[in-house]
Amino acid sequence: MEQDCPHLLFYGPSGSGKKTLIMALLRQMFGASADKVKVENKNWKVDAGTRTIDIELTTLSSTHHVELNPSDAGFQDRYVVQEIIKEMAKNRPIDTKGKKGFKVLVLNEVDKLSREAQHSLRRTMEKYSASCRLILCCNSSSKVTEAVRSRCLNMRINAPTEGEIVNVLEFIGKKEGLQLPSGFSGRIAQQSNRSLRRAILSFETCRVQQYPFTSNQAISPMDWEEYVSEIASSIFKEQSPKRLFEVRGKLYELLINCIPPEIILKRLLYELLKKLDSELKHEISHWAAYYEHRLRLGQKAIFHLEAFVAKFMSIYKGFLIETFG
Amino acid sequence: MDIPDLEELEWLESHTLDEQFDDDFELEIEPPSPPSSPEPNNPPTRPTLSLPPKPSPINPHPQINSIAKKRARSNLPDSTLFDADNNSDPDKHGKRIRTEEDESQNKKWAPPEISLNEKVGSVENSGRRDDDDDEWLRCSPPRDVEVEMEVVEREREERILSRYATEIEGDCVPVTGLDGERVYAKICSAVMDAEERRNKLSVRGEFNGLLREPARVLMQKFEQEEFTKALQASVEGPTEVVPPKAPVTHQQLWVDKYAPSSFTELLSDEQTNREVLLWLKQWDSCVFGSDIKSTTEDVLSALRRHSSGSQHPKQSTKSYSGTNRGTRSNYFGSNRETRFSRDNLRAHNELDKGSNISHVTPEIWDKRQKGFGHPEQKILLLCGPPGLGKTTLAHVAARHCGYRVVEINASDDRSSSVIEAKILDVVQMNSVISDSKPKCLVIDEIDGALGDGKGAVEIILKLISAEKKSDAGKENVAQDAHSGRKSSHKKQRNSLLLRPVICICNDLYAPALRPLRQVAKVHIFVQPTVSRVVNRLKYICNKEGVKTSSIALTALAEYTECDIRSCLNTLQFLNKKKEILNVLEISSQVVGRKDVSKSAFDVWKEIFQKRKGKRDRNSNNSGSSMSKDFEYLYSVISNRGDYDLIFDGIHENILQLHYVDPMMQKTVQCLDNLVVSDITHRYIMRTQQMSLLAYQPPLAIVMHSLIAQLEKKDIEWPKSFHRHRTVLAERMDMFHAWHNRISPYISRHLSTKSFVEDSISPMLHILSPPTLRPVALHLLSNSEKSYLGQLVNIMVSYAITYKNIKFDRSGISRHEDALDASTLSLDPPISEFIHLKGYNSCHFDLALAVKQVLVHEVEKQKILLGSISKSTHLHVKENHGLEKNTGNGVSSKSSYINKSSAETKMKERSPIIEQSGLSVSSSSSVAESGGGAIQVKSVQKTKKPSGGVTSFFDRFRKVSHEGSRNTNNVVQRGGTVQRDSHPLLFKFNEGFTNAVKRPVRVREFLL
Repeated sequence: MEQDCPHLLFYGPSGSGKKTLIMALLRQMFGASADKVKVENKNWKVDAGTRTIDIELTTLSSTHHVELNPSDAGFQDRYVVQEIIKEMAKNRPIDTKGKKGFKVLVLNEVDKLSREAQHSLRRTMEKYSASCRLILCCNSSSKVTEAVRSRCLNMRINAPTEGEIVNVLEFIGKKEGLQLPSGFSGRIAQQSNRSLRRAILSFETCRVQQYPFTSNQAISPMDWEEYVSEIASSIFKEQSPKRLFEVRGKLYELLINCIPPEIILKRLLYELLKKLDSELKHEISHWAAYYEHRLRLGQKAIFHLEAFVAKFMSIYKGFLIETFG
Repeated sequence: MDIPDLEELEWLESHTLDEQFDDDFELEIEPPSPPSSPEPNNPPTRPTLSLPPKPSPINPHPQINSIAKKRARSNLPDSTLFDADNNSDPDKHGKRIRTEEDESQNKKWAPPEISLNEKVGSVENSGRRDDDDDEWLRCSPPRDVEVEMEVVEREREERILSRYATEIEGDCVPVTGLDGERVYAKICSAVMDAEERRNKLSVRGEFNGLLREPARVLMQKFEQEEFTKALQASVEGPTEVVPPKAPVTHQQLWVDKYAPSSFTELLSDEQTNREVLLWLKQWDSCVFGSDIKSTTEDVLSALRRHSSGSQHPKQSTKSYSGTNRGTRSNYFGSNRETRFSRDNLRAHNELDKGSNISHVTPEIWDKRQKGFGHPEQKILLLCGPPGLGKTTLAHVAARHCGYRVVEINASDDRSSSVIEAKILDVVQMNSVISDSKPKCLVIDEIDGALGDGKGAVEIILKLISAEKKSDAGKENVAQDAHSGRKSSHKKQRNSLLLRPVICICNDLYAPALRPLRQVAKVHIFVQPTVSRVVNRLKYICNKEGVKTSSIALTALAEYTECDIRSCLNTLQFLNKKKEILNVLEISSQVVGRKDVSKSAFDVWKEIFQKRKGKRDRNSNNSGSSMSKDFEYLYSVISNRGDYDLIFDGIHENILQLHYVDPMMQKTVQCLDNLVVSDITHRYIMRTQQMSLLAYQPPLAIVMHSLIAQLEKKDIEWPKSFHRHRTVLAERMDMFHAWHNRISPYISRHLSTKSFVEDSISPMLHILSPPTLRPVALHLLSNSEKSYLGQLVNIMVSYAITYKNIKFDRSGISRHEDALDASTLSLDPPISEFIHLKGYNSCHFDLALAVKQVLVHEVEKQKILLGSISKSTHLHVKENHGLEKNTGNGVSSKSSYINKSSAETKMKERSPIIEQSGLSVSSSSSVAESGGGAIQVKSVQKTKKPSGGVTSFFDRFRKVSHEGSRNTNNVVQRGGTVQRDSHPLLFKFNEGFTNAVKRPVRVREFLL
């Protein structure tokens, strides 16, 4: 194996196969032993000037690579990255020819890394480049600093197109010996938001629920999406502070169930746009973008979500009064 | 009534003397009480001993009597002249008659009588040098008329006092008691029936005659008088030392200089003062012993009456007569009282005897009547904003009641060991020197240092709880002690809270005080009225020679929210600067405005509520009122700090307000402001630029201007956000734990972030297929069995199982019998993620029977997997060993061998497992499925692991087919031999069964 593997940055929407690609790459590089992974709960004691910080993190490691999610360590993520890279540099593996090899560090969700961690990352990337390669993985490269991006080979993984999804589903169907009515896989692909994971999961769901398939079989929706559409229709029904208060409760409910606020906002916009007059669509989209930006800047998601709902209510009510008197 | 023997009489005499001493002792302490509450001044009721006891049964007025006696001499109208005559006359009579009297009786009477006269003399004296003793004057405001009446009454012996004029025959005069009670007194003519008069005179003479007898008693009295005066002087010290002509360049702070030294000077709320005093007085019997106790009873009743009297006059009279029963005035006991109601002069002598003899008994009786000395709540907790005089009240009241104040405050060492020693010192020790005062502990600023202050609180609580425990036992002990000699009480109680403890705090709801709040008597200080403060300020200004107007002082008092300390400091400061307090400039002058941080609720109230009138009256145009409002709100909010909480509170409550907002514009604006505050907050926290915090309050003020209403709204504490946060954290934890249990080759694909977003719903669908019929296993068709197998595999690889949940959840138990209380639900409760409030998911729920089957299968599958992976691990190790020892070519070969051995082992194993599965299931008669089904399944099962085991194992198997034929038998044997040593798999099921049990040996299964 050549020593010329660069640092890599994979980015793209979820369900597009980034991790699968990374795993395939690792297997290509190290052979089958890269698949022998074990889970470890590691503890680090980091000496940070005046105090020592205890950090606990779960890692997934094989003899050749370590995979971890540094953003789980919260604001102490930079210590994690530094420590683990140093540790790797200390015990470099020796390959069969007696040459010093390198290890691969896979960092997931780099876009959630704090700015400090990213800054510390860029120096370590250079310093230890002999002993370790980084594979970074994230949804959006915009949150990764320019410096880190320029040190990596950037790989954008596109979400699969619907046609591709259909192909995959048909392949699976053939393997499992299932009869697919025409257009059925197309419908699943349509509902999947171009996420392959989702498409396959809903395919399996359909299989479990009813087999043999009928061409007009219902594809069960995501529960939380249903919930969001309920919220949207309740917003359309009435625009008042009282209704906003009810909406707040529902938004809380969604947030409690670990659904990221950005996703909620996006889905809500989607549901709202469905029923909205076309002349308002542009304005509403603008405001959604505005509030999503602020949402990412802020801390308390509920404020921002609610502000968006209030804004929508206000605009929609104004529109209603204007058109219907 | 038999006549007591001489010894006892002598003891009684000394005893009464003692009492007299105590009496005077108290006198010297009490004088500075306000005219409106003269009851504390009533120790001289003691002298009534010497009078022919004649409290009217209807409405006894001992206090008035006693005072009357004292005051009688100073200003005498004609009736009292008569009295004086009378007084001198009986003297002779007394001499004459004395010889005829019973000696012992004389002895009994002598000391009190003398003390009375002595006192009278002293009063006269004090009349002459009035500045010394003007305390007397102070305690009883001019009410000569009543006094005279009293005197007259006393002389006549047939005084009738009544609450109603109609009940008195003849003329009557209204008399207002010191406590504000109004009674009517009968006026009798000075000329009396001669016989009656003679009678009376003879009676009178009997005790007047003893005037000159014991000289030493006189001496003692005199000494005491001197002592009292000296003490008085020392008490009065501060006020007297301050001369009106105090120079401006005085070093002392006015605050200290004019600190109230007496009860009358206190500025705090009258009611509170009284309650505090009452509470302190309740300690008397415990602290001072029995002698003074009845006096305190007296005082207590008076105080009580006063505090509750105004609203419930009827009740007050009741309590009055009730408490009076035990008081000093009726010292001779209730039995005597009833006798006196006969008002029989003939009986007088006898009665006197009787009363003297019954001297001892009422004491005991008193004790019994009244619990054990200390008040119910042994801690007094004073709280209120600074500068209202809490500390001052505590000090003054304690001194007033004869305690020496020991103060512990924030500046002292507050570590718990030190404080414990200190408290125990004060609270439990009795001073060695007999005449030193008992101590009263004042813990100032107990809320101040939370961490350390807790130490103090804990110690106090410990003392109290100790008290409670020993209460039952103590009761008896105390009773014994009281019935015995009074000297013995003190020895009996040792490790208990024996002294009053007053705690002072600013914030009643400080977390450290929570336990204390429950056991202490809490008094909340309210602001004194502005006029009261202004009066006091005026007085001080006059004394200091500062020119002020009352308007300016009023403005100052309002400005400082009646904080007298800051008022005084301000005044002194201005005085020093030779400036004059200016009404208009108060806010602009360098006068310190208090940094009062209001509670969060107050802040929210300020934001949500429009302020009415008051503040706007100065400003004519709306612009300046706006700016004033702004300023005010800004200070309120920024003083509170904690913007995070404030905005949370606004967010929580904002939508509940009733503001007019047809187009939702205000709401949008408010929420936008909240959004900005959130962003700012995060930025500040991240970059630590605290100076930017200054921009937070205006956001709240903007919202105030948008939505503030006049009406009052209930404000809720912002809980929902924190609830959301904690629940979210819980769910995340649960998810992480689950994530860690899933084997890594699956879990690496599951991201915690997007799992709920796109995986959970289909997964739940997959886990509960509606096609699975709830029938016994052997009734399933082949395809169904394979489904079941797949499902079990999924569940095992995702580490999901079903678990008994005790509480019945309607969503889950829908399909099953209501009889079954416990239900099975998914073990990592991942179904929680789709339980959204107000949303009915269309997920199919498996029947209970199916779930039970699943649980069983999953369990079995896990055991199988566990044993397989164990054996494979073993071989993997072997593999490694071989690889390392030999070269490449050899290693590949040997690995083949191993693989094949693993394969064969698998094959070999299946019958074993089958067998064991059979035996285990047949042994557990609880199992719902027949043995045949199990057998089928286990065959199926042993095949299945191929899908479920870790992937590297799979790979071994695929390759193994090629080279398996030339396997080394030895290796195979070794493996099987090893496994044959543990041929059984069994599982212990926790719980119990109702099935018939019988002992079975393991080998029976093996056959």
